[in-house]
Amino acid sequence: MSKVFLGMSGGVDSAVSAYLLREAGHEVVGAYMKNWSKNLPGMKCPWAEDLADAKRTAVKLGLDFRVFDFENEYKQKVVDYMIAEYKKGNTPNPDIMCNQEIKFKLFAETAFEQGAELIATGHYACTDGKNLLRAVDDNKDQTYFLYRISADVIPKILFPVGEMKKPDVKALAEKVGLSVARKPESMGVCFVGEANIKDFLGEFVETKPGEIREIETEKVLGYHDGAIFYTLGQRHGLGLKTGLPYYVVKKDMGKNIVYVSQNLNSLSLWKKEIELKDIIIRGEHNLTKLQARIRHRAPLISAKLEGNKLIFADEQKSLTPGQSVVLYDGDICIGGGIIA
Amino acid sequence: MIYLDHAAATPLSKHAFEEMKLYFDADFFNPSAAYLPAQKVRRQYEAAKDQIAHIIGAKGADLVMTSGATESINLAFSTIRPGAKILISAAEHQAVRACAERCGNCETIKIDKNARLELEDFQKKLTAETEFVSVCLVSSEIGTIQPISDIARMVATERQRRALAGDDRPLYFHCDASQGLGLMEVKVARLGVDLLTLNAAKVYGPKGIGALYIGHGVKISAQSVGGGQEMGLRSGTENVPATIAFATALTDAQNHLSAEKKRLQNLKKILVKNLETIPNIEFHGNPKTQLPSFVSFSVPGIDAERMIFALEDKEIYLSTGAACAASKGEKSPTLKAMGLNDAAIAGSLRISMGKLNDEENIKQAADAICKVIATEQARLERSKA
Repeated sequence: MSKVFLGMSGGVDSAVSAYLLREAGHEVVGAYMKNWSKNLPGMKCPWAEDLADAKRTAVKLGLDFRVFDFENEYKQKVVDYMIAEYKKGNTPNPDIMCNQEIKFKLFAETAFEQGAELIATGHYACTDGKNLLRAVDDNKDQTYFLYRISADVIPKILFPVGEMKKPDVKALAEKVGLSVARKPESMGVCFVGEANIKDFLGEFVETKPGEIREIETEKVLGYHDGAIFYTLGQRHGLGLKTGLPYYVVKKDMGKNIVYVSQNLNSLSLWKKEIELKDIIIRGEHNLTKLQARIRHRAPLISAKLEGNKLIFADEQKSLTPGQSVVLYDGDICIGGGIIA
Repeated sequence: MIYLDHAAATPLSKHAFEEMKLYFDADFFNPSAAYLPAQKVRRQYEAAKDQIAHIIGAKGADLVMTSGATESINLAFSTIRPGAKILISAAEHQAVRACAERCGNCETIKIDKNARLELEDFQKKLTAETEFVSVCLVSSEIGTIQPISDIARMVATERQRRALAGDDRPLYFHCDASQGLGLMEVKVARLGVDLLTLNAAKVYGPKGIGALYIGHGVKISAQSVGGGQEMGLRSGTENVPATIAFATALTDAQNHLSAEKKRLQNLKKILVKNLETIPNIEFHGNPKTQLPSFVSFSVPGIDAERMIFALEDKEIYLSTGAACAASKGEKSPTLKAMGLNDAAIAGSLRISMGKLNDEENIKQAADAICKVIATEQARLERSKA
């Protein structure tokens, strides 16, 4: 039995985690991380409701409950990073940064300062006390978002729902009478929620309209309202009146041009080899025999890492700068890197 | 369910609901249309306004129907000239505070430990520059009845002084009667107010309807213009069904005023007697100046929001001192101004009784509150150990 600080988001996964930790005999302190509270155009920030749901669950289970205000740190470490990356033309993943900087660093540090022996979250992932492992529910596995967490903190983490399947988590919440059992799952980027990323960026970044050109012919097919809004491989929302499907295959941020192609085999879209930056590898592994995941829930693909270069067994589509490639050695999530 | 939050919302009375239905259905006409059936609706609408006005000792033509108290308050504050000095009490609702803040030149009048306005402080702050005063009839957090007619007398004296001095600077007195209406006599002449905010949703009427009483001589201009309804002060097709229901609900409440007051006093006695057994409990407000429907208290060390969730689990619903601000972790300015310390503010709970309560469910609720607090105190003891 340990003193465990559990990050409670107000969702069903962390609520069930609280129940499981308590049942296991731990002394649990529920903690809500207040990272973001601003409303965005067309999107009311649900933080107050989420906080209430988290606290409601804590009270129901008779747990101590605290609010950790990380708004300033979150803005600096996650939001500013995200905006800077978009400005460079990249497509960053703020959830990954949030886990690295806030949930498994700042939260962990604060919790240990306040007397925690262990920390816990409602993520779908596992550990063996040393390594980060994929969740039992392959469909829900969240190690893609967790790959950058520090090796030092892993032995001190519990993922109580990591060995459960999502439907079982919901059923257990219902069975033990947790009010969040039927709460709809939040979608998309944590703080932007369901808001359009465009609306969000529009608040922070000045954008200029520019041309959309066909890469093979350099022909102008239409206009965009800011190249930063487009992601490689993107097909929808281009507003082209051609009637035929076009894909974003390249962005020239300097000239503010978005290049598209009808050809899904366009060389710019498919790559066998990519360069990674900010690589993290935990432990000793045979780097020539790895599995890689190029986006959340994407299938694992064989790959090898040579220095900064990641070489896939087959060509991969839409490898977007700023996004992460996460590396696995069997069930172990060993780390990964950001597509340069 | 045991509902203990009548100050936040009241259920629509069945009578009012029945009365309003017709105007969604057979009598759906726009009261501004020329044909007879529409004119009949117009007459019924005007009659409903007269009925509401009559209860506060006014005429239908003195009322502007609005979408509720917040809009009425905003309309009342629109009489203020740019830069004019205004006074509000420290026990006001957020809507009044927000309007006052927007005006800029605002001073707050102190309240005592029972949330009652300090007349001496008011007298001191009421100067030759003051142009607008806004004080609630009853503070929404504690249920304290404010000395409205005393304030009105001071306002009248100052007005007289200005008249004699040939000073034509205006001075209006607005009272937000959202809390109190339907639970006590509210007469504009006796209160001595120029502007009075009314709200249907706390007197068993529907949500989305309220009114502003505008005394004669108050210079006011429209905030929303259009078809010129409500004497041009609030354009937009009249909300006939809601106005009819407001009139019905308020009339019913008025007819049962003294019986309901007695009934609530009895329930309060039972509730307080049961809660008194809680060690260290502190009640807020002086029963002599508090509406009988209100019981406000805190228990040192107890977090009110935890209590709300724990009681919600037993289908007992009540509020913290300040319902609107609580979920956002903001401290109630009223409780602060009463001199409560942070722990007492964090632990402050408000019970507001009404039609949905009787002796039996009040006893049950008191019992549950005692148990939940005991459980929480035990948990706190354990975590200290």
